[in-house]
Amino acid sequence: MKVLATYSIKGGVGKTTAAVNLAYEASRTGARVLLWDLDPQGAATFFVRVEPALKGGADRLVSARGALDGHVRATDVPGLDVLPADFSLRHLDLHLDQSSTDRLAVLLDAVAPAYDVALLDCPPGITLTSESVFVAADALLVPTIPSTLSARTLEQLRTFLDGAADPPDVLPFVSMIDRRRTVHRDVAAALATEWPDLLPTQVPSVAAVERMGVARAPLGTYAPSSRGAVAFRNLWADIAAHLWPTA
Amino acid sequence: MRSGSTFIGTDAGTEQLITALRAGGFDVGPPTTVATTVLDTFDGRVHRAGLRLTRRNAVLVLAGREVVTVEVASPAVPRVATDLPPGPFRSRLAEVLDVRALLVLATFTSREHPIVRRNSDGKVVASASLVERVEAPPGPLGEWFVVVDDVTGYDRRSSDLGALVVAAGARPLDDDDGTIADIVLRAAGVDPAGHHDDPSVPLDADEPALDGFRLVLANLAASIVANVAGTIDDIDSEFLHDLRVAVRRSRSVVGHGRHVLPADLGEWGANELKSIGTLTGPPRDLDVYVLEWDDYVGGLGADVVRALQPVRDQLESSRAAAYDDLAGMLRSDAVTRFLRQWQGRLAAPIDPALGGRDAARPLAAVVRRRIDKAQSRLLDHGRAITAATPAEEVHELRKDAKKLRYLLECFGGLLPDDDRTAFVKRLKALQDNLGEHQDAEVHVAELRQAVAELPTGTAPTTFVAVGQLIEQLDARRQAARDEFAERFTAYDSPKTHRALARLLDGMTA
Repeated sequence: MKVLATYSIKGGVGKTTAAVNLAYEASRTGARVLLWDLDPQGAATFFVRVEPALKGGADRLVSARGALDGHVRATDVPGLDVLPADFSLRHLDLHLDQSSTDRLAVLLDAVAPAYDVALLDCPPGITLTSESVFVAADALLVPTIPSTLSARTLEQLRTFLDGAADPPDVLPFVSMIDRRRTVHRDVAAALATEWPDLLPTQVPSVAAVERMGVARAPLGTYAPSSRGAVAFRNLWADIAAHLWPTA
Repeated sequence: MRSGSTFIGTDAGTEQLITALRAGGFDVGPPTTVATTVLDTFDGRVHRAGLRLTRRNAVLVLAGREVVTVEVASPAVPRVATDLPPGPFRSRLAEVLDVRALLVLATFTSREHPIVRRNSDGKVVASASLVERVEAPPGPLGEWFVVVDDVTGYDRRSSDLGALVVAAGARPLDDDDGTIADIVLRAAGVDPAGHHDDPSVPLDADEPALDGFRLVLANLAASIVANVAGTIDDIDSEFLHDLRVAVRRSRSVVGHGRHVLPADLGEWGANELKSIGTLTGPPRDLDVYVLEWDDYVGGLGADVVRALQPVRDQLESSRAAAYDDLAGMLRSDAVTRFLRQWQGRLAAPIDPALGGRDAARPLAAVVRRRIDKAQSRLLDHGRAITAATPAEEVHELRKDAKKLRYLLECFGGLLPDDDRTAFVKRLKALQDNLGEHQDAEVHVAELRQAVAELPTGTAPTTFVAVGQLIEQLDARRQAARDEFAERFTAYDSPKTHRALARLLDGMTA
């Protein structure tokens, strides 16, 4: 099982829409996917129409006797399950503080035989939760909006991970780009130069993505030909080619 | 994760079930037509892996202990795993298929009603399909089916659904029933286990040698015939491989049966099989080249590999031409007639009085003597090889080893399995070395040929890259040659001699 995380230090960059849509696209190509909503806001859980609740809360989930499988819910997409969020996840840092940073990795190991991909939708910031995610993840998918500030947080992430013993791959991609804007095009071009691992597909800022909140479903299910859906399809193909290069 | 259970109903109508489901709060949608194709390789690799691969309209479904689906963007049925998008599904399938291509085992259509129940958030909490009017050769199935998906985390609603289905007179499919696809395959008389070329047939040690040789050759003839169509159509490289091996085995058995088979039969078979075998050589060598290409160029830089592309294209083109020649020959009246008559001559018992001097002797005694002789010949030739021996003689040794191996495989019905496996393991270690040497030798020659045929104007970097590849292959050939003495000494050892003695002592005689 490959563990991926949509992650950014910065908020509002399209992490959750990327997580849900990439999880959907992965399942379309035959991957058995577990989408783990680690954000107490529970937007990913909302998008797949599952109740945001963990029996016993985050405390019990990450405790020594905790396990993921009892909390998993099937979504309406074949091959895509979700581990729902819960408001108690806002205290996840506190609970993880009492265990080791590999706790998430241990929990994921236990469900690895049932899935090909675990996709973790992370809250923003560098916290104990994100450090645990870095330990568990094979790759971080980093949505980067084409702005100077966003590019700067990508640099901060690189600096932070430089000190890690076994850091995950960092796979940034351009998110929410408006190609009509010169500044977006310029920053995206600069990112491509600076980050050789920048995934080639850019996710546009389009209205169809915003409608996810109304449709409560991955973009590909209600607007499969939209620019956004096509972008996420291509983005998953980029990621799959990176993860399974010789298959 | 989706898995589920299937129920089968044998009553004429499904109206009662649909009414009960609607009354129970389930939505039953209008039916759509689903076209299902059941896929596997010629030798049933998907089935052997405990899986079932179907394509339902544009969705590929690989079912086993878990169900995984992939939507295929192309309307075409995938032929090989690489026709699918990169990802774990393709990886899993590639592992199962290896070099084999998918074939259509059966197709059927059905009318399917979606059955769902949603909660107040619009979330599906139970899901199933009512499958009816299954139309498949040789005729429609009378039964209807309900395929209930497990919806993880909402198990109670799925149980409710299952209970309603059972109440309507259906029963769960059990392991003997398999899946709907299994039922269709059985009705069509298709064995999902596929075709297997097993050179070994049941043999009686005391039967006249002629009978035993005839049975072995008839079995090999069936293997040749089974692989002709797939070779002509170039479905995958294994058809030619298996055809070539069956021809070689046949030639070897005919050779070993010089004093067993009727002279006219032996001579006729030897000549015809030789001409078929000769034409299978070039396309098979080129197949190996293409299959091994990535491995061959593995140690070279990306620039060199790019520069070699015209050579690879040339080899592909030579391969296609060699396949055309072979297909033409296999389609010819002469070959078709020979194979039909060859099978015909081998189908019925032949009077031993018409055979050679060993025809009436007990089979085990004749085979034992042939194995002894083949081993002695292999050892004599192997012991004579030094660092200065020309490559052609090493190649002859490889043929000696193959002849011994074919005897052990084709007359395996007389040999104890464990002892045969133990001895063959030792022989195979030697054969692997000889094979590595020969493949590199042949491929260097083919590479030189391909270079000679490159169009004028080919970039000089390509010629430089070929030089590097030849150097690499030559190093591989030399390494195999250097290792030969050690491998042969390991083979020509008391352990091998004891293993062979045990094998021959254990012969049913």
